[in-house]
Amino acid sequence: MSLVRTVPPGPGWGAKSLSDAVPALSVSDAMRLAKRALEQLSLRVVGEVSECTVKPGYKAVYFTVRDEYAVLPCLMWRDAFDACGLDLRPGMLVEASGSFTAYAPKGRMQFQVRSLNPAGEGVLRLQVAALARRLEAEGLMATERKRPLPAFPRKIGLVTSPRGKAVHDVIRTLCRRYPVAELVIAGVQVEGEGSVAAIVRGLQTVADHPGVDVVILGRGGGSYEDLMPFNAEEIARAIAACPVPVVTGIGHEPDDSIADMVADYRASTPTAAAESVAPARDEIAERLDAAARLLGRALAHSVRERAHHLRLLAQRPVFRDTACLLSARMQSLDFTAEALNRALPESLRLSQDALARMRDAMGRSASHLLDPHAARVDASRTRLSAGGMRFLERGERSWDLCAARLEDLSPLGILQRGYAVCYDETGSRVVRSIEDVRSGDRVRVRLASGSLGCLVEDARTES
Amino acid sequence: MTEELTPVPEDLSFGAALAELEQIVKALEGGQLELEDSLARYERGVSLLRACRAKLGDAQQRVTMLIGELEDEESE
Repeated sequence: MSLVRTVPPGPGWGAKSLSDAVPALSVSDAMRLAKRALEQLSLRVVGEVSECTVKPGYKAVYFTVRDEYAVLPCLMWRDAFDACGLDLRPGMLVEASGSFTAYAPKGRMQFQVRSLNPAGEGVLRLQVAALARRLEAEGLMATERKRPLPAFPRKIGLVTSPRGKAVHDVIRTLCRRYPVAELVIAGVQVEGEGSVAAIVRGLQTVADHPGVDVVILGRGGGSYEDLMPFNAEEIARAIAACPVPVVTGIGHEPDDSIADMVADYRASTPTAAAESVAPARDEIAERLDAAARLLGRALAHSVRERAHHLRLLAQRPVFRDTACLLSARMQSLDFTAEALNRALPESLRLSQDALARMRDAMGRSASHLLDPHAARVDASRTRLSAGGMRFLERGERSWDLCAARLEDLSPLGILQRGYAVCYDETGSRVVRSIEDVRSGDRVRVRLASGSLGCLVEDARTES
Repeated sequence: MTEELTPVPEDLSFGAALAELEQIVKALEGGQLELEDSLARYERGVSLLRACRAKLGDAQQRVTMLIGELEDEESE
């Protein structure tokens, strides 16, 4: 296109000025001009490989790509061709990046290829790049979203294929470095149909497992197309939604997958991912040793410092000479004793005087105290004796009455009035009923003046 | 130190035990503690150290498969 632009506008004017101003060129010069102009054109071309010549010993690989209407001869220097690692065959759809050039000896225009990829992949890459841009715009790849990995994970989740090297690389690495953590694995299909859903489910399962505080998403190396699931939007969103940090360790692919971009940390391989989530055993052991040393040293230091402090205290005068601690008090004790001695005789004399005064006063007041009491005692005595006499007189009168009454009640009194008492023969039992005696029994009848011995002739009931 | 409220070292996670241990070393090195407190922390530190070493030394990697079955490496 730029060639066209170098030609001056207007066919008449252009043709005239060319033929007039510039002398005719040699074929070589013309070709040189053409080559220089062609080499300005850098571009990517997609086409189907038709012929190809890949021969050992040749400096370049020659092939043609074509579409329905045109053919483009290509050459690729051997080094570049080997680097792209493509097994070139006729019929293959390729995407070639490079620039046009001209080969003067044959008068031939050709396309010099710098890099060559399968064209299907090229389309995929475009799609992936578009998705990456979209997710980035959403902020899913933002640095602020990246969470720090736990220094000492309790449980490590791993989502990877249960087959193959990756899972064993991770297990081996964690065994070696940090066997303290438990490894919780979701063995899922990582390529082909259904792998995206399987990986998403695996991520959710390990993240939901209690205690898991970091997740590794791992995959061994593979072609771009093999690694395509890791470019899926569903997986990117599952990583972003994962409640704990996610570390990717996917293949040896030079380009980051979308999963890598969204992950909290990107490691290049499953082994590197395992290393990044766990501290090294040797380092921890070293830290523990250091802590042990410091712990002992710090305590020893603390004790030493206090011992020194104690020694300093012990050397103070108060502890070396006990007399100096007490001397002041001993002295003041002496002073007090002396003052006491001086004060005592005087104090005693004063007390004796007071005692004498009190004795006299008591002597004087004692008789006055007794007089009223004596008068009260006399009065009481008189009243008491009078009361006693009255009580005796009353008693004597009652006695006479009682005696007379007693006289009336005596059985002897009744006999005086003509009654008699009938006893049995022995005189010990009173006969109260006709049943008590029979005809012919002897009875004694007591009268007031004496008794009669009687014989029972008959016993009759009083009608 | 509220000894009865702090969990026994064996119940702590490795990271928590190591963090507490290093905290204790720092406090002891600071030298601002009462002697009794120093001794109590030293003792705690020693038991934390023992627990950490035991965890590191005895640990066998525990592997739990939540999904799928682990296959030998050779089967690939």
